Amino acid sequence: MSTVAQEAAPTTRGTNWRRKLVPYGLLLPGGLWLIVFYVVPMLRLVSVSLQTGIYPRYRFSWAWSNYAELVTNYGGQAVNSFAYALSATVIAFLIAYPLAYFIAFRGGRWKNFLLVMLLMPFLMPFLLRTLSWKIILADNGLVVDLFKALNLLGEDGRLLATGVAVVAGIVYNFLAFMTLPIYVSLEKIDRSLVEAANDLYASPAVAFRKVTFPLSRPGVVAGTLLTFIPAVGDYVNAVLLGTPQQFMIGNVIQSRFLVVLDYPVAAALSFTLMIVTVLLIIPYVRASGTEDLVA
Amino acid sequence: MAAVTDGGSGLPGAGEPPAVELESVTKRFGDFTAVDDISLGIEENRFFALLGPSGCGKTTTLRMIGGFEETTAGIIRLHGEDVTGRKPYRRMVNTVFQSYALFPHLTIFENVAFGLRRQDVSDEDIKHRVGEMLELVQLTGREKQKPRTLSGGQQQRVALARALINHPRVLLLDEPLGALDLKLRKEMQIELKRIQNEVGITFIHVTHDQEEAMTMADTIAVMHQGRIERMGTATEIYEDPRTGFVAGFLGASNLMQADVVDASIGEVVLAQGTRLRVSADQLSGEGRRVRLGVRPEKIHLTPADSPVEGNALAGRVIDASFIGVSTHYLVETEPIAQLAVMAQNLDDRRFAPGDSVQAVWRPEHTFVVT
Repeated sequence: MSTVAQEAAPTTRGTNWRRKLVPYGLLLPGGLWLIVFYVVPMLRLVSVSLQTGIYPRYRFSWAWSNYAELVTNYGGQAVNSFAYALSATVIAFLIAYPLAYFIAFRGGRWKNFLLVMLLMPFLMPFLLRTLSWKIILADNGLVVDLFKALNLLGEDGRLLATGVAVVAGIVYNFLAFMTLPIYVSLEKIDRSLVEAANDLYASPAVAFRKVTFPLSRPGVVAGTLLTFIPAVGDYVNAVLLGTPQQFMIGNVIQSRFLVVLDYPVAAALSFTLMIVTVLLIIPYVRASGTEDLVA
Repeated sequence: MAAVTDGGSGLPGAGEPPAVELESVTKRFGDFTAVDDISLGIEENRFFALLGPSGCGKTTTLRMIGGFEETTAGIIRLHGEDVTGRKPYRRMVNTVFQSYALFPHLTIFENVAFGLRRQDVSDEDIKHRVGEMLELVQLTGREKQKPRTLSGGQQQRVALARALINHPRVLLLDEPLGALDLKLRKEMQIELKRIQNEVGITFIHVTHDQEEAMTMADTIAVMHQGRIERMGTATEIYEDPRTGFVAGFLGASNLMQADVVDASIGEVVLAQGTRLRVSADQLSGEGRRVRLGVRPEKIHLTPADSPVEGNALAGRVIDASFIGVSTHYLVETEPIAQLAVMAQNLDDRRFAPGDSVQAVWRPEHTFVVT
């Protein structure tokens, strides 16, 4: 008996080793992808952001002045970026939450149909979708006429080529990214929890505030991040629906990279944008206290 | 006013109105009638069980009392007060849900305190009462944990505490033990009964488990196809099921057809000619066709030629299985092809397949069903 046990031991150890390695093996493809297409470019971006010179000859020179350009020359665009992205996120949330709530709780057998309808516009190319807002918000279009009739706009007021148009475009383009995560977290909520809250003397409004909304928070956090992060860096909506006055930091980066060929400043702006966005998000995720809900 | 209530004078104002009273309550979902014209009254401090197979309407009945389903017709009263159209959050009734429905984002303390927080109760009071309630369900010290860190039985007790802390006038339990394993279920049955005795609140318990209902409930209502087929104590229902469905649902029965010969002495005759006796009060009308039943444990077997007293059927043992506490026989007789007999292993007389025997039982152990 003892010999068998002794012989068995090394084999077990061998399989244990292999077992411990398996998770890392599974991580390998994704990890490599991240290193090659994220970490390396990121380091390169940081290095470029500290160079000076004229395309294509740049020299590394600890040129911190590249970073100063954001404040000195592009402060307006930076403010636009965060103001537009923030308002678009708030508006998208206000539209998406009731929409997701309705589909999840009242959709019944129409649930899948409603979800497909939500995604339908995304079968159309991004540019076309955004361009069509030019027609909707045109100076002689229906929306402007209506706003004028309601006295929300003055006689010579317009929507196109204003911040309102840019925000509207962003809201529209990212609405599904806000709605779907919220829908998923609402859908997951056990209906008997709401009944239990009602049973324990919570009116529908209180039950929503104390049970449904807290339980949907992971979806709200995911949706707002999926909207806010790309919206901050967006430049297409500003180009198509705004004027240079509405330009966002994304427009500056795009023109620095592709038009002016000023790579160092473009890199510095990109990197700053990223850092600021992350710094804004961390306290938001912390404050929303969703760690608890990931069960 | 066809409510079935026991005792008490009929004078208004004299005595308490029943804790729960249903008057001709009906619930339809489209064409389907889930609950069909039910009337019943449940007295204060009772442990009342609604027993039936799935789809019999027992859960729908409970949900109507809780206010989660609207009635299609009929009136529901709690302590004499009409609450028929009232929303759940305005009824002094609390529910223990089948899946417990504990709030996953709240601690055990906040789960239990949820109902009190909706009322005007001071923080100090809440703390005191939650502590008391957790002691009652033996979960002291778990206040800060989240529900998912507890076992099924513990979650079950939190659900119970969360409902009981509000001192509801009626507690509704929707198959609360369904998700527990057998051993835990037995423990919780005793536990629930203990708690009910302690708090003295009317419990309405929905279950499909006859043993569970018989263990805990003072009164059992057996439901079938949206109606109450039989209501009474466990003993009453078991010994005199009255309908074929109840006889089959509560325990095992041997049923046979017979014609009444003489109702005054309780004499009936089976199709092949054997005469049997039943309690006279169970019969009415001569020549009428009735169905008789007898429980397997009420029958004992004797050798074919021995003298017998009471009802007897001759037959042949076709199967015998020894299961420790008892031996189960299947006997082939003329009226019933497979008569089930359960014999306690008191003496060493055992029969083997092929033996000719007589199945004997006392007339008063025979019941008549419709």
